[in-house]
Amino acid sequence: MIYPMRTRQLADATGAGTAGLENVIEVGGLRQKYGDFEAVRGISFAVPRGEVFALLGTNGAGKTTTMEVLEGYAPATDGTVRVLGLDPIRQHRELRPRVGIMLQEGGFLGDLTVAETVDLWKGMSEDAGRPVTLSGSTELPGGFTLMGTRIRRVDRATMGALELVGLEKKARVKVKQLSGGQKRRLDLALAVLGSPEVLFLDEPTTGMDPEARRTTWKVVENLREAGTTVLLTTHYLEEAERLADRLAIMHEGLIHTHGTVDEVVATSGDMITFRLPGTSWTFGDLPALDGVAPVLTYSGGGTEVGYTLTGADTATRAHAALRPLMAWADTRGEALERLAVRRGTLEDVFMRIVGEAGL
Amino acid sequence: MRTDVLHAVRLARIDLTLVGRNTTVLFNVLLMPLLLAAVYTSFPTGDIAGIDGELFVLTGVPGLMLAFAVFINLVNAFTARREELVLKRLRGGQPSAMAVMAGSGLSALALFLFQVLLLGVWVHRAEGVLPANVPMIVIAAALGVAVFGLLAAAFSGLTPNAEMAQITVLPVLLVMMVAAPIAFPAEVLPGPLAVISGLLPVTPIVEMMRTGFLGADHFTDGGEQLNMIEQWVAALPSIGILLAWVVIGAVLARWLFRWEPRHG
Repeated sequence: MIYPMRTRQLADATGAGTAGLENVIEVGGLRQKYGDFEAVRGISFAVPRGEVFALLGTNGAGKTTTMEVLEGYAPATDGTVRVLGLDPIRQHRELRPRVGIMLQEGGFLGDLTVAETVDLWKGMSEDAGRPVTLSGSTELPGGFTLMGTRIRRVDRATMGALELVGLEKKARVKVKQLSGGQKRRLDLALAVLGSPEVLFLDEPTTGMDPEARRTTWKVVENLREAGTTVLLTTHYLEEAERLADRLAIMHEGLIHTHGTVDEVVATSGDMITFRLPGTSWTFGDLPALDGVAPVLTYSGGGTEVGYTLTGADTATRAHAALRPLMAWADTRGEALERLAVRRGTLEDVFMRIVGEAGL
Repeated sequence: MRTDVLHAVRLARIDLTLVGRNTTVLFNVLLMPLLLAAVYTSFPTGDIAGIDGELFVLTGVPGLMLAFAVFINLVNAFTARREELVLKRLRGGQPSAMAVMAGSGLSALALFLFQVLLLGVWVHRAEGVLPANVPMIVIAAALGVAVFGLLAAAFSGLTPNAEMAQITVLPVLLVMMVAAPIAFPAEVLPGPLAVISGLLPVTPIVEMMRTGFLGADHFTDGGEQLNMIEQWVAALPSIGILLAWVVIGAVLARWLFRWEPRHG
């Protein structure tokens, strides 16, 4: 599925947006080893301020490892990483209040309620000098005891964080009773609580139902509007297409391709497919389009013909190829059954990378 | 620094809330040492080291409390929280590593002091004795929590999961229960064992606690009454041993403590 180009991408495409932009995240020649296993094998990329950058890849591609180095969980085996110009390990203390992290899983105190968990994080953010500016539409009263647990008031800031991710009805529920998707949403609320300048989202919508996924996307889009820089990992192509200004496809510890969605998709080529009656067609019968010979497959008494156009002029190559094809069909008096012209998709690129590297 | 203190206090309060909500922890941490104290004091004994046997044993009970409320409690907490990725999340959140550790230490100190307070009430009601040197009791508690908190951090690194914690703490628990001068003075142990007992971290804590409660010299076999200054002077070697153990504990914790489960 292709989404309409957004204004930010237009700005980038014209060069107006990128010039002079400070890189909030910089990764240079990063390698990361666990024992003998090299999870990341030398990658470089930079994310300018205010951009949403997606690391796309299968499980084990090295996405989370890359994130964890940027988050300061592990020192890089080799190479350099900078977040807001700071070293995530040596300048952790300076960096911490300015960064929000959503981990892939777990890490909650199950016996705390959802509101208490947000309160704890909110308090720690305030202690670190980053007051929470969210304000919910309501607050919940406290000061009574329910089943042996003292119920505290839930203030507007905490409710604001819960409303942001649609958990306001779960404020008094213990965290251990939340579903997987609800825990992910709580995680998101904690990550964005202190209005971070940089947000790391590690597979943010894994385990979420479609509605929660849309809520999460909306949260990320709003943060982007507010100028937050976001690095997210995902294995959902749709998510990367929808959210990312730019993306990189990782596989087995390497970045195989990167750029805007359009740039990346352009590398996959445009597809022209149709069907001819009979099975007597061979390569010699059909024209080369844009210098490319077709792929023929025979089935059900007909011949499926497919061209993949990879010409340099990504905008007009399909159009340019159709003219000689039509001329050929007219000359031969053949009808091109089920003629389809389709742009390449992110999935085509993804499958090619994963498939190629797997061979 | 100020931020670290605020974070540590905040985390300690959450710890105490969670202890209050977990019956198993509540029992192990608060009731277990008191039950053991009741068992220890139920045997009739004559005088020990010049004082009433029951009083001697009761003033040694902080050694047991340290084992349960601090050491076992923290090994369990650190291990369970590591495996549940709570430590990882905290470290990725606002608090520094120091604040996370200090938070756990503070909550353990609060529990320990609360138990010592209960014990003080017990001692007063049973024996009519009021603590002679409260600052010494508090200093002993703080040093005890520092040493055993750090040792707990180190032992949690050796503990693969929360179930195994019961087993990894056992050797330390046994040593603390057997070699510490809880129910008898260290001097009655045969020569080399007495020396070893004196060098263990639990012994100086018990001796400081006992001296703090009774105002008498329980660092040696003597048991004679001391004034406040003499008590502190007599405590100096114990404080020195404990400070050395803080360093040892810190080195071990730095070496063995892990914030995350092992990869794979």
